[in-house]
Amino acid sequence: MTDGCGAPAGGVSTPADVGNQAVVQGHVTRDGAAVAPGYARLLNSGGDFVAEVPLGEDGGFRFFAAPGTWTVRVLAPGGVTEDRSVTADVGHLTAVEVAL
Amino acid sequence: MSRSDVLVDAEWVEAHQSDPSVVLVEVDEDVSAYDKGHIRNAIKMDWKKDLQDPVRRDFVDKSGFEALLSERGVGNDDTVVLYGGNNNWFAAYAYWYFRLYGHSSVKLLDGGRKKWELDSRELVTEVPQRSATSYKASDVDTSIRAKRDEVEAAIGNKNLVDVRSPDEFSGKLLAPAHLPQESAQRPGHIPGALNVPWAKSANDDGSFRSDEELRTLYGGAGLDFSTDTIAYCRIGERSAHTWFVLHELLGEANVKNYDGSWTEYGSLVGVPIELGAGK
Repeated sequence: MTDGCGAPAGGVSTPADVGNQAVVQGHVTRDGAAVAPGYARLLNSGGDFVAEVPLGEDGGFRFFAAPGTWTVRVLAPGGVTEDRSVTADVGHLTAVEVAL
Repeated sequence: MSRSDVLVDAEWVEAHQSDPSVVLVEVDEDVSAYDKGHIRNAIKMDWKKDLQDPVRRDFVDKSGFEALLSERGVGNDDTVVLYGGNNNWFAAYAYWYFRLYGHSSVKLLDGGRKKWELDSRELVTEVPQRSATSYKASDVDTSIRAKRDEVEAAIGNKNLVDVRSPDEFSGKLLAPAHLPQESAQRPGHIPGALNVPWAKSANDDGSFRSDEELRTLYGGAGLDFSTDTIAYCRIGERSAHTWFVLHELLGEANVKNYDGSWTEYGSLVGVPIELGAGK
């Protein structure tokens, strides 16, 4: 793993080793095309910010969460904000496809 | 010092992009972001390769900082404007370095790279050429840096502000949720620490909240403004962001950043640790 706190290169092009992780990942598109630049934020069940990544060139994002309910919030140019509620589980990859 | 002395907006940057006495610096962990596009005339700094000691866990020493800035063409009298990804985490960390080494004029771009991108402002790939300088740094200003013994001694008598997410604070997660959760340190927080996640000080677009909102935020969380404060996170960059809020925006004296943060404290033998949500 990286020992930094920052965002890794955006996107989900590197295969995730789900293992004992609770992975939430997906893509953001508009009219079928990837949205970039843009950002995906992960909020916990209380609405508090947990993490954020820039969208990759394919509009992709990935989070390593914990079991539970989360909100993925997408930010895109033009003041666009879109929320999706997701449930993450250890050993599972939760896919979230967001069409703006 | 006021907000306008330490924070600039996009319009200010656009008006000063060609001013040779203003040096724009993008600071990222993901340095490929700069290579894909950056603000015109901005130079690049890598928070780890450029700003960290290559062997010991510490920041670059005085001679290293002087060599870095000289080579990048930053003069002592230049106004340095820092910005970056991750809501300016690493830009705030670099800002703290510039203050540690006594640079007189340094500012953050409000909202950093994210707000610039979301506002669809210009990004270019041309790398500016700046002539080398002979930069002279001051001795490290230890009044803004906390080390581990001071942190342990502060338990129960100073404000300790843990700026990580609530799930990291409680021990549910060991690292931010965009990183694999395989860190080896013990989870939890320093006993008595307030949990005021850095993100509460910023809007969704990464810009800082107003001074009034910030005072309400920290006061409401129980911060005693009449007492000294130490901020920490996992590796010290998110807490540099909060240090910037308390010390630079709100003008609070005696605020230190503990850059050892949880990766140091959570690995120390015998120190007290608290689990669970904040009080």
